[in-house]
Amino acid sequence: MKELYLDPHQARRRQPTPFEDLLGDSIERGYAAGIEDLAAMVAHLNRTGPNCPENEGIWTEQNFQEAMARLSA
Amino acid sequence: MRTSPNDPVDAVLAEGLKNLWYPICPSEFVGERPVSLRRLGRKFVFWRDQTTGKLHALEDHCPHRGAPLSMGIALGDRIACGYHGVQVRADGVVTSVPGSPGCKLEGAKATRSFHVTEAAGAIFLYNSSENVDTPPPLVLPEELTNDQEYSSFLCYTEWGGDYRYVIDNVMDPMHGTFLHKQSHSMAEGDATATFGVRETDTGFVFEKEGQRGVNFDWTEWADTGIHWMRLAIPYPKTGGPGGSFTIIGSYTPIVPNVAAVFHWRVRKLVPGWQRDTWRFLYRNRLEARHWAVLEQDRVVLELMEPDANQREILYQHDMGIVRLRRHVRKLAQAQLDEQEEKAA
Repeated sequence: MKELYLDPHQARRRQPTPFEDLLGDSIERGYAAGIEDLAAMVAHLNRTGPNCPENEGIWTEQNFQEAMARLSA
Repeated sequence: MRTSPNDPVDAVLAEGLKNLWYPICPSEFVGERPVSLRRLGRKFVFWRDQTTGKLHALEDHCPHRGAPLSMGIALGDRIACGYHGVQVRADGVVTSVPGSPGCKLEGAKATRSFHVTEAAGAIFLYNSSENVDTPPPLVLPEELTNDQEYSSFLCYTEWGGDYRYVIDNVMDPMHGTFLHKQSHSMAEGDATATFGVRETDTGFVFEKEGQRGVNFDWTEWADTGIHWMRLAIPYPKTGGPGGSFTIIGSYTPIVPNVAAVFHWRVRKLVPGWQRDTWRFLYRNRLEARHWAVLEQDRVVLELMEPDANQREILYQHDMGIVRLRRHVRKLAQAQLDEQEEKAA
């Protein structure tokens, strides 16, 4: 019988970039601090980073939502 | 798991009950090339129609000499055996015998055919005891069908243990407090608990009394024409909004002591940035954490001796397991009785 299927990363299609790792860290810290609404999350990211890769580094509700839609697709 | 050779009920359960839907594999495992998979006591061939993408399943056995059809060539809704070119349609009818045109095999429904469908990223097969024209509908829990309220990822693994041990493990919430003590989500909760059983329309819930939303506190078993299980584990605050992390499980025997293990990991989140963010975090880091927890289960289960189920001393926490085993034995007995009646 062939080897059993045991793939720990089935949802991930590629290795995450350093930026995505930093963003994940920052979002988790925001959630840990009790942030649950969009405006507060965007303010948190602008305060603690990482910078938005566009818009001169500034996160907006619009570009954050677009980034999440892209990264979750 | 050791199957008692003289126990016909056990033998039925070892291969999986008939006339139920079972998950087979993730959707992406099957393309236009025929794929052979052992499941449920037989070998199946799956392939997709090149033009329509429609999924087909037959027993992987040419009716002529028994060569694997999966070695053949897919021709839309038919497959031509690689051995002698015998063509079998997806409904099991032989449409052509090139070596002996007009022979009685042509036109015969000579191969077992099976109904297949796809949902929630997986291929499901109706394990009918004999060929049926129309299978009952595949009814999955709402977490897997209501895209407006829920989002999910399928985690598929193959474990070196009997699928019934996997079911026992899920019907045993208390192991969360011990086995998964070192995990990102199950460090809380009392080490002792009293359990109770609550009936549902489709099965039952086995749950800790007086503790909910703390650890792995309850398991539901359901029969909706497919057997599935449901449980919820609280996410740590870092998991963001969306409440507990729900898991839907369904388990299919591959061969004795090898199980196909399906876990859909679900979050109750309407479309929008919170759902997208959970999906991003899942891919980026949560999946790895969930995997580490699941591996704890696999290691214990694979290290259990095959006869572990013959030498048990159960206690109150195992009431759910006892109840479920009794129930599925009844179902297996009913299938045996039906077979006997038909034979008589």
